[in-house]
Amino acid sequence: MTQHVVNVLLSGIFHASILFLVAAGLQVVFGVQKIFNLACGSFYALGAYVGVSAVGWYTGAGGPAALFVLPLALAGLAVGAVGVVVERGLLRFVYDRDETFQLLLTFAVVLMMEDAIRMTWGTSPRSTAGLYLTYGQVPILGAAVPVYNLIVIGASLAIALLIGWLLTRTAFGRIIRASADNREMAEALGVDMRRVYATVFTLGTALGTLGGALVIPATAAMSEMGIELIVEAFAVVVIGGLGSMRGAFVGALIVGVLRSIAISVYPELEMLLIYLIVIAVLVLRPRGLFGGAAA
Amino acid sequence: MQTSRRQFLKLTGAGAAAAAARLEAAPAFAQAAGPVKIGVLAIRAGIAAPVGTAGLRGTEWWADRVNKAGGILGRPVQLVVEEESNPKDTVERYRKLILQDKVEVVLGGISTGVTLALGPVAEDLGTPWLSWDGTTQKGVEETMPNPKWAFKSVDNEVEAIAAGILTAKYFKGVKTVAGINNDYSYGHDCWQSYLAVLKKLGMDVKPVLDLFPKLGVTDFTSHIAAIQKAKPDLLMTSFWSGDATILMKQAAAVGLFKTMKGVFTTAGGVHDSLKKEFTPEGLLLGYNSMYFDDPKGSALLKQFVREHKARYNEYPPYECDHAYFCAESYKAAAEKAAGGSRQWPAKAQVVKALEGIEVESLSGKRSWREDHVQMCNFFQGITTHKNGYDFVTVSPLEVISTKQAMKPAGTKLFDWINGWKA
Amino acid sequence: MTGGLVLILALLAIVVAPWVAPTYYLLLMLPFMAYAVVLLGLNLLFGYTGLVSFGHALFIGIGAYTGAFLAAHLTVRSMEVFLVAAAIAGALVAAPVAALCVRYVKIYFGMLTLAFGMVFYTFVLKFYRLTGGDEGLPFPRPALLGFPLDAMPKTDYLVGPYYYYSLAVLAVATLGMWRVVRSPFGLCLKTIRDNPAKAETLGIGVTRYRWYAFMISAVYASVGGALLGPPTGNVDPTLAYWTHSGNLVFMTLLGGFSSFFGPVLGAFVFIYLQNWVMSVVPYWRLIFGAILAVIVIFAPGGLMGLFARARPAEVARG
Repeated sequence: MTQHVVNVLLSGIFHASILFLVAAGLQVVFGVQKIFNLACGSFYALGAYVGVSAVGWYTGAGGPAALFVLPLALAGLAVGAVGVVVERGLLRFVYDRDETFQLLLTFAVVLMMEDAIRMTWGTSPRSTAGLYLTYGQVPILGAAVPVYNLIVIGASLAIALLIGWLLTRTAFGRIIRASADNREMAEALGVDMRRVYATVFTLGTALGTLGGALVIPATAAMSEMGIELIVEAFAVVVIGGLGSMRGAFVGALIVGVLRSIAISVYPELEMLLIYLIVIAVLVLRPRGLFGGAAA
Repeated sequence: MQTSRRQFLKLTGAGAAAAAARLEAAPAFAQAAGPVKIGVLAIRAGIAAPVGTAGLRGTEWWADRVNKAGGILGRPVQLVVEEESNPKDTVERYRKLILQDKVEVVLGGISTGVTLALGPVAEDLGTPWLSWDGTTQKGVEETMPNPKWAFKSVDNEVEAIAAGILTAKYFKGVKTVAGINNDYSYGHDCWQSYLAVLKKLGMDVKPVLDLFPKLGVTDFTSHIAAIQKAKPDLLMTSFWSGDATILMKQAAAVGLFKTMKGVFTTAGGVHDSLKKEFTPEGLLLGYNSMYFDDPKGSALLKQFVREHKARYNEYPPYECDHAYFCAESYKAAAEKAAGGSRQWPAKAQVVKALEGIEVESLSGKRSWREDHVQMCNFFQGITTHKNGYDFVTVSPLEVISTKQAMKPAGTKLFDWINGWKA
Repeated sequence: MTGGLVLILALLAIVVAPWVAPTYYLLLMLPFMAYAVVLLGLNLLFGYTGLVSFGHALFIGIGAYTGAFLAAHLTVRSMEVFLVAAAIAGALVAAPVAALCVRYVKIYFGMLTLAFGMVFYTFVLKFYRLTGGDEGLPFPRPALLGFPLDAMPKTDYLVGPYYYYSLAVLAVATLGMWRVVRSPFGLCLKTIRDNPAKAETLGIGVTRYRWYAFMISAVYASVGGALLGPPTGNVDPTLAYWTHSGNLVFMTLLGGFSSFFGPVLGAFVFIYLQNWVMSVVPYWRLIFGAILAVIVIFAPGGLMGLFARARPAEVARG
C-alpha cells in the first residue's frame, strides 16, 4: 500500500515540477510586466527540442553519459535567450497598450513558434534514447523510483528556492518587486525599466525552456506539446493566483498531485477535475490562493 | 450538377443566360492532355503529423517512380498537396482541390473525425477519394456502407483484433489485463475489440484497469503508477505516436514489463524511436500494414526502405504503404479503365475499375474490397534485440490478413467476432 | 457617405456573386457569413464593452452541437428550428457563465472565458456517447423555410439556397446589432468601456450591462455556430478549442475592433487569406503569426483603422 502511495505521489510531484517551471516563467512575467504569456508553452517545447539536439551532440562527441544533465540544462538555459528577441523585437512595442494586445502578440508567437519548430526539427517525435535510464532507480518505501525523476524534482525545488532568494534577498529582486508594485514609482527612482523588462522576460522564458529541456529525457518532444501544456500551466497559475511565485509552487503541486490521484482512483476525471477546480477557484477566490502578493 | 443550380437561379429571378456563362464546367476532353493532377491531403501539425508526413513521402516516392516510367497513360503525374487539419478546414481544402485545382482524384485523409466529414462531401462532388488511413465508421459501425466515390482504409480496430488473436497464441496464461488507450474513438474501439477477441478465443481474462489519457499527453508517470497498483498480467495499448515511445520509456524506468506482458498494437508507427535501451524483448508489437524489415519483403519494399533511409535517415513506417497503395491502385484502375487505349477514362469508369482491383504494393499485394474498403496484411510480432539497428524489431513475424481480422462487408463487429468458430 | 456606398457595393457584390464567382470561392463565403455573425456578437463585448473573450469558440460549439444534436436525437431537419434552438441553448449556457465572468475585467475575464471554453471542449471529448467524442456528430442538410431541398446536389444547395439563407441571417444579425450599438443601451456599454466608474455614478448597472452584452454576444456566436454546421456537414470538438477562440479575436483585430464592420471585414480577409496562404506554403501558421504580430504592433486599429487613417472623415464609426 505505501508503495502505491509513494508511486502516485512521486509521479504527481514529478509532473508538478515541470509544471512549476513553466508556470513560474508565466508568473514572473505577469507579476512584473502584467503580460499573460500564452507562448510559455511554446518556449517549453523549444527547450525540449533544443535539449534533444544538445544531448545528441554531446553523446555524439563522446561525452560521458552520466554527465548528460549538464549540457542538457545549459542548452535549456541558453535557448532562453530567445526571450530577449521576443521582448526587444515584439513586446516592447505594445507596453503602453491594452493587455489584450499583449496577449494577442504572445498568441502570434505561439503560431510562429509551432511552425518554426516544425521547420527545424520535422514532425517525428524526438527523444534522447535511453539516457533517462542512465541513473537507474532507487527503492523508496518499497517503490522503485527512477533517479532521474528525483533529479528533476530536486532541480525544480532548487530553482524555486533560488527564485525565492533572488526576489527577496537581492537588489535585483527589490527592483523587480518595486517595478511590479508600482512601475511609475520605480521609474521615478531611476530604475531602467527597459532593462528590467528585458531581464524579466528572458528569465521567464529561460524557466520555460529549462523545464522543457529537463523533462525531455523522460519523454519525447512533439511539436504540439506546448499548446497542450499551456492549458495545464494556465490552471496552475489560476489556482495559485496570477503573478505569485508561491502560487505557482502550490498550484503546480495541487494540479500535479490531484491529477495523479484522479488517474489512480477515478481515471475518467483526469483533466476535467482540474478544470472544475479552476472554475471553482475563479468563482470563489478569483485572485487565486496566493493572488495579490506581487511576484 | 449544373442543371439544378441553373434551375435554382431561374427561380430566384435572374436570367439563365448568366448562369450558362459560368466558366466552370469545362468539358472533360479539354483536360485530357497535360499532367494528371492528383490531390493529396496530408496532416502537417499535431500528434498525427508524423503519420501525414509518412503518407506524403510514400506518395512522392510513387509519383517520382511513375513519372520516370512515363506517367499514367502517357500523362505525367502532378501532386497538389493540401493540409488535413480539423474537419471544417479539411472539407474546405477538399472542395478546393476538386473545384479549383480540378484534380482527377484525391488521396489522403487520416483522422476519423475528418474522414467522417469527407465521405459525404466526396460522394457529392463526384470525384474518387482514396483514404490513406481514415474510415467512415462511427465507432466500429459503418456509416456509408455503399459509397460510390469514397474508398476507405482498413477498419480502425483491425490491429487490435490481430493483436488479440496473437495474444491468445503467445501469452496463454494471462489472467488479468489492463489497457491504456487514448481517449477518443480509436482508443476505445481498440480496447473493446481486443477484449472481445480474447474472450471469444477462450482466454479467461479479467480487465482490471482501463485508462484513457487525452490524446497528446506527454507524461504517463501517473498512469504507470496506477498500472503498478492494478498489477495486471498484461498491459495493452493502442498508442501509435510519440506517446508510445514515452510510455515505453517511462515504463522501463520503473521496470514495468519485468512483471507483466506488453501488447503494443500500433506502436510500429514510430518503430525506430523504440530504442533497445528502453524497449524490452518479448513484447507483442504491431506494425500495422507494412513492416520495413520483412524477411520475405519484395524487391520493391527493399528499394523503398533503402531510398527512404538514404533520403530522410529514417526507416519508413506503415503509412507510406497505405499512401503508396492508394496512388498505385488509382494508376492501375485508370489503365484498366482505358482498356488498352490511350484515351483518358472518365472518373466513373476509374471508380468501377478500382472496385476489387489488386495491385503490388510495398508490403505485398493489396486490394480494394467491392464495398470500397482496403484489404491488406497486418504485421505483428515479438520484439527482439537481435538486429543491426539501435531499435527493436520483431521475430517471429506474424502476418494476419484483413480477410481474417476485419469484419466482412455489411456485418456488425461484435456479432461477427461472437460468430467465430473458436 | 463613402462608407455607405462601399457597404451597398459590398452587399451587391455578395448578392450577385453566385452568378459570377467560381463555386469554391462561393463556398468560402459560407464560413465567412457564419463567422461574421459570430464576430458581430464578439465585438459587442470586445469593441463596445471592452471585454475580450478568449473562450467564444465555446458558443460556436454550443450552436453547432445543438443543431447536430437535434438532428441526431430528435430527427429535426429545419434550419429555423436549429437557429432558434442554438440561440436558446447559447443563452441558457451563457446565463450562468456570463454571470460569473462579468464580475471581472481584463485578463481575468479573458482567462475565465478560456477556462469555460476548455471545460466544454473536455466535456465534449469525454462524453462521446452523447456527443460523438472526437468523431463529432453529423450535421445533416437542413430544410430551409420548410423546403426540404434534399434532391439538390449538396454543392448546389450550399452555393444556392443556403448561401442566400446565410446572407439573410447575416443581414438580420447586422441590422439587429446596428440597432443595439446605436441604442441608449449601446451608448451605456461604451461609457462602461471608457470609464466604468463614471458609468456607475451615472446610474448604469455596470455588471448588469456587461451581462446583457455577454448574453447578446453569446447568442450571436451560437447562431453563427449553427450556420457553420451545414457546409462542413459534421461538427466536432475542435470547434470549441482555445486556439479557435484565439482565431476569433485575431479576425476581429484584423478587421478592426473599433469599427462596426471591422470584424466582418476581418472574417472575410482571414478566410480568403488563409485559403490562399495554405495553398502556397505549408507553414501558414508562421505567416499568420507574423501577420498578427504586425497588426498588433503597427496597426492596432486593424484594416478599418488603416482606411480610417487614410480618409479620417469618411469611415463610419460604430
